[in-house]
Amino acid sequence: MSDGQSMRQAASWPAEIGQQHGARGPDQTAAVEAAALNKWFGSFHALKDINLAVPQGGRIVICGPSGSGKSTLIRCVNGLEPFQSGTVRIGGVDLTRDQKQLQKIRRSVGMVFQQFNLFPHLTVMANCTLALRRVLGKSRTEAADIAAHYLERVRIPEQAHKYPAQLSGGQQQRVAIARALCMNPKIMLFDEPTSSLDPEMVKEVLDVMIDLAADGMTMLCVTHEMGFAREAADQVVFMDQGSIVETASPATFFAAPSQERTRLFLDKMLR
Amino acid sequence: MNFDFAFAASTVPTILGVIGTTIGVAVLSCAGASILGFSFEIARRAGSVPGYLMRFAIDFIRSTPVLAWLYFLYFVLPHWGVTLPALVVGILGLSIYFSGYLAEVFKAGIDAIPKGQAEAAKALGLNRIDVVSFVLAPQMLRNVAAPVGNHFVSILKATPYLAVIAVPEMLGSALDIASNTYRYAEPLTVVGIVFLVLALAIAQGVNMLERKLLGPTNR
Ligand SMILES: Nc1ncnc2c1ncn2[C@@H]1O[C@H](COP(=O)(O)OP(=O)(O)OP(=O)(O)O)[C@@H](O)[C@H]1O
Ligand SMILES: [Mg+2]
Repeated sequence: MSDGQSMRQAASWPAEIGQQHGARGPDQTAAVEAAALNKWFGSFHALKDINLAVPQGGRIVICGPSGSGKSTLIRCVNGLEPFQSGTVRIGGVDLTRDQKQLQKIRRSVGMVFQQFNLFPHLTVMANCTLALRRVLGKSRTEAADIAAHYLERVRIPEQAHKYPAQLSGGQQQRVAIARALCMNPKIMLFDEPTSSLDPEMVKEVLDVMIDLAADGMTMLCVTHEMGFAREAADQVVFMDQGSIVETASPATFFAAPSQERTRLFLDKMLR
Repeated sequence: MNFDFAFAASTVPTILGVIGTTIGVAVLSCAGASILGFSFEIARRAGSVPGYLMRFAIDFIRSTPVLAWLYFLYFVLPHWGVTLPALVVGILGLSIYFSGYLAEVFKAGIDAIPKGQAEAAKALGLNRIDVVSFVLAPQMLRNVAAPVGNHFVSILKATPYLAVIAVPEMLGSALDIASNTYRYAEPLTVVGIVFLVLALAIAQGVNMLERKLLGPTNR
């Protein structure tokens, strides 16, 4: 896709993030790195000693049974969920609980939710331009141009003036992806982006995600769409009961998983 | 006693003469009750006031009669050196009494916003103030507009209580005419009709507002 080029070129870490990893070039810095990450909800141990590195341009699919901690993990990555021990680094910068720092880091981390979470009181265009204007300080016309570009990319340029409730689920999710892309993120997080869609709309969203992957976007994606994992992922992470049980290439993961728990899960998923 | 239409018509200017006070008091009381109710709810959410205390305060406010508040503010406060004009007492009393209801309205209006809204806004890098002002507040206002409108009608219908502290409002002026002329039916009918028309008009407005809010911009 030709306009993917411009998207990648424009993507760059904020200067202050680039400076923090000294001698190493940004290419060696993992886009996301969780180390010894532990998270409790009260006394419930939701994430157990998670170690995960997403290299720049990496496309990682996380799967696992319900309640295994997939959402919790992905939400720790952009600071939506605080954690008790361990570190999460985004482009080499440690996440702290400092709001200003979190806000800065979130600009370079796009997130797409299962429930879309579009702002229902704003048009598609306004959904896309809100952060451009409020966070990046773009002018109205500049923001509109950027939004139009990404709406085009997710193949719904003609819906810009509509409200979310006037769109189908698949269209809403594509707007949500465009809204996140508008901020020119370095990483995209997806939390079961197709799970609340009617079957006939799953493909249109997956197609957009596959395009993104092909353009070199770094992606961390919770999904049970095994077709997507096969086609677009370079690593599949299997989680169970708060732990990462197995990490493998899609080919190995599906054909020859090393862990019994993975096999059981796949049996149920692919049955 | 016959209903004298000519006499009824003659009372209209006097009664409508204070309609401004009635509406003004209702508007200001509704604003006051909204501000108070909203503050109660925010204080409760922020955890600065424990939930059970807030629950008690709201229940207390709602279970005391409006008249008790008006008498208290008008006759008891002066003993403690606080003497307020009748109009201020009226607005304050209605604001306090209805704040208990409006706190509930704001609670429901905020609860109805899915958690994902604030999360999506934060994930885009918006700061807290922008999350509230561009994402949460507009949705809350949309959620509370119709119920606040309905409470406005209730507040309007409670304005006659202010007659007891001699605020010139519509029912009071009708009663004045009645006691001066010994004719009750005409002025009271007129005041009843005026309230009816007002309430219907507002309810109609709220309806239209609600329909507009339930339009395409709603989820
Ligand atoms: N806010 C919370 N408070 C308490 N427990 C929570 C909270 N959020 C999640 N949990 C618990 O943490 C565990 C992991 O939840 P999480 O949502 O991360 O699972 P998941 O793998 O995303 O599951 P699903 O496939 O159903 O989305 C679950 O047992 C859940 O009940
Ligand atoms: Mg989940």
